[in-house]
Amino acid sequence: MDNILRIIMGPEGGPKATVIPVGEYAGIGGRALTSAIVSKEVPPLCHPLGADNKLVFAPGLLSGTAAAMSGRLSVGCKSPLTGGIKEANSGGQASQTLARLGYAAIVLEGAPKDDNIYKIFINKDGVEINLDNSLKMLGNYAVVEKMKAEYGDKIACISIGPAGEMKMCAASVACTDMELRPTRHAGRGGVGAVMGAKGVKVIVLDDSGMKMRSPKDPDKFREANKNWVDGLKKHPVTGEGLPAYGTNVLTNILNEAGAYPTKNFSLGQFAGSSKISGETEAATETTRGGSATHGCHRGCVIQCSGIYMDKNGQYLTKQPEYETVWAHGGNCGIDDLDAIAMLDRLDDDYGLDTIEMGATIGVAMEAGVAKFGDAQAAISLVHEVGKGTPLGRILGNGAAVTGKAFGVERVPVVKNQALPAYDPRGVQGIGVTYATSTMGADHTAGYAVTANILKVGGYVNPLTPEGQVELSRNLQIATAAVDATGMCLFIAFAVLDQPETFQALLDMLNAFYGLNLTGDDVTALGKSILKNERNFNTKAGFTPAHDRLPEFFKKELLPPHNVTFKVRDEDLDTVFNW
Amino acid sequence: MRQIKIAEAANAANLRLTWAEDRFEDFAELLQRGFMLKARARSSIRDVLCGQFGISHEYLDQRINTIFLDGKPVDDVDSATIGGGSKLALSAAMPGFVGAALRKGGFYAPMRQVITHVEGTESVPGGDELFVLKLFNLVVKELGPLFLDSGIWLDRRDLESFFNSRPAEFWSGCLQCLMEVDELEVDSLHKGKWLIESPLVYLRIHVVTGDKQ
Repeated sequence: MDNILRIIMGPEGGPKATVIPVGEYAGIGGRALTSAIVSKEVPPLCHPLGADNKLVFAPGLLSGTAAAMSGRLSVGCKSPLTGGIKEANSGGQASQTLARLGYAAIVLEGAPKDDNIYKIFINKDGVEINLDNSLKMLGNYAVVEKMKAEYGDKIACISIGPAGEMKMCAASVACTDMELRPTRHAGRGGVGAVMGAKGVKVIVLDDSGMKMRSPKDPDKFREANKNWVDGLKKHPVTGEGLPAYGTNVLTNILNEAGAYPTKNFSLGQFAGSSKISGETEAATETTRGGSATHGCHRGCVIQCSGIYMDKNGQYLTKQPEYETVWAHGGNCGIDDLDAIAMLDRLDDDYGLDTIEMGATIGVAMEAGVAKFGDAQAAISLVHEVGKGTPLGRILGNGAAVTGKAFGVERVPVVKNQALPAYDPRGVQGIGVTYATSTMGADHTAGYAVTANILKVGGYVNPLTPEGQVELSRNLQIATAAVDATGMCLFIAFAVLDQPETFQALLDMLNAFYGLNLTGDDVTALGKSILKNERNFNTKAGFTPAHDRLPEFFKKELLPPHNVTFKVRDEDLDTVFNW
Repeated sequence: MRQIKIAEAANAANLRLTWAEDRFEDFAELLQRGFMLKARARSSIRDVLCGQFGISHEYLDQRINTIFLDGKPVDDVDSATIGGGSKLALSAAMPGFVGAALRKGGFYAPMRQVITHVEGTESVPGGDELFVLKLFNLVVKELGPLFLDSGIWLDRRDLESFFNSRPAEFWSGCLQCLMEVDELEVDSLHKGKWLIESPLVYLRIHVVTGDKQ
């Protein structure tokens, strides 16, 4: 990964590709690299859909190696949804393939002067950029089928659906999985709209003839990777719970805790939760001949995904994960798993963030556009988005726009990005992260390694509001660092409980690059990423007033516990004091 | 689920099923929704699960990582007590930051302090009462057969609703069905023709492996 591929979309004579050495960006990957490029090269006040914005695709530091779980691809830009910096990441095959082709990043720059759309093909011999208007307004599944017919089935695709072409703020970037289906998405923040604004429909990656990346110390790397895999497999979450049920195993638990946002965050429990839980989903998949245990990329040992078949035993979509099942399920009062799976399929095909779309439909239901619990109406609304009808254009631009269009007060967004599936009134600590994350409301922003392993931030007294702020800070720092490695965030559970597994991760990085990284270095990396992102957002006009939850979380009691969000604004303002 | 008085339990209809092991997971949804068990009132969670139902202390301490009592996360299984009508939910370790926060006595437990279970001062054990137990994720597979074999109480309408919503292939797991002492055709359960008047059903399911069928 010694080079960056820069593709300028706007020059006379068509797009131009240039391969340049990684230079000043050497030694960083994933989110660290996307945020470094965006914060250095993108004017913070530029229009996110304009020529000055850049869209960066970066594999992680360990992507393309034999390291297990190293298949995350970071996608960064200025977000059309939040107006701030954005890193969304995705599983699938693209990250490994791009890394093996030797690219630390692809950067899409400029903007075409017409409405043509392009496909980009990258293999060991170089880069081809071709105009292909036959792809216009195709869904992701159809695009991938066309690419397969053209380039064979040894490829990985990064693509957008109609939502991206229509530059909607809920548009995602799709990555293909091991079965060459466009089921993995860099979902959040409208990164698909930026790809659409660049006029790029699909990037096809073919790493035929390329080898796996080689570590500097193969023996140490092999040993560290073995310890890493052993650690993941022996942990009850990564070795048993996630493989058996996937992330949707959380439905019952959050519901029991009264922190499961229901009917647009008006309730904390959903009566139909057991019908859409991970346990029920896994049983349904198995009974119909699908699978409840499946990886999204080669080298995944957690296997938290699955294959969801319809009632006739035909493939419908990948296993909808917890956030999706919640967003389209309990949040909209829908307890029909087949309808939720259909909504997941439509989101993947049109190229939409499932969290944003579920939250948006919840707001629309609150406005009376449809009734809570009406699954067919929800499906129709997603079709409106895919077709780009006037109503669909409103919905496709997310919960905040929809709330304004329909005059809804209870709109669950921070920095215009919809809240994920945990009500911050029940679990106040995550509210701190939702409010202060550089990304807008983001459940993964404060996800990873615990303070008692990394020892970031010194002593924490979590019994005080200040302590909750400190914990959130430490989690955000650690998560940013993990996002730079290309590792799936689900490794966090094993790393959380097993210091030797965290050490194995460090050992892999050190053996691969010939380094001597310590936990302190990881902390410093996380801080530097957040600092870049905070600086960008400040220059883009963000103030402490943007680091707040919507007012209703402070005012409306959440049944059944009847609690409000209590963390004070002045405490939120200290999250990034280190 | 309505609160049931212990006296009603004695009048419950007795339904006994023999079920194929490879279809046991068909009951996962029932076990998630919750079922009733008898316990000595105001006993601690540990006393009920380990003392009365024979679950090992190691399993409770190591495997059951997340516990809710009346919807509130529990940190101390020795002080939290179960009363008549209590709702207890048991889960293995959960993913995600929030999963870690809800964990029993975990490092992040303070982040959900506003909903944490706080035990009252009165904890003198009383007579037997019915409480509701819900099983989630790996615990469904691991403890489900134990409770189904020893017997659970269910509201008749809830059980009818569960049976009526099962797909046809569900019934292929049913090897034998006894109502009180009479053998029933599987179809009579399937089609809701079992005409029980008792509002409660005491359900026992004996799971057998293929080679014992």
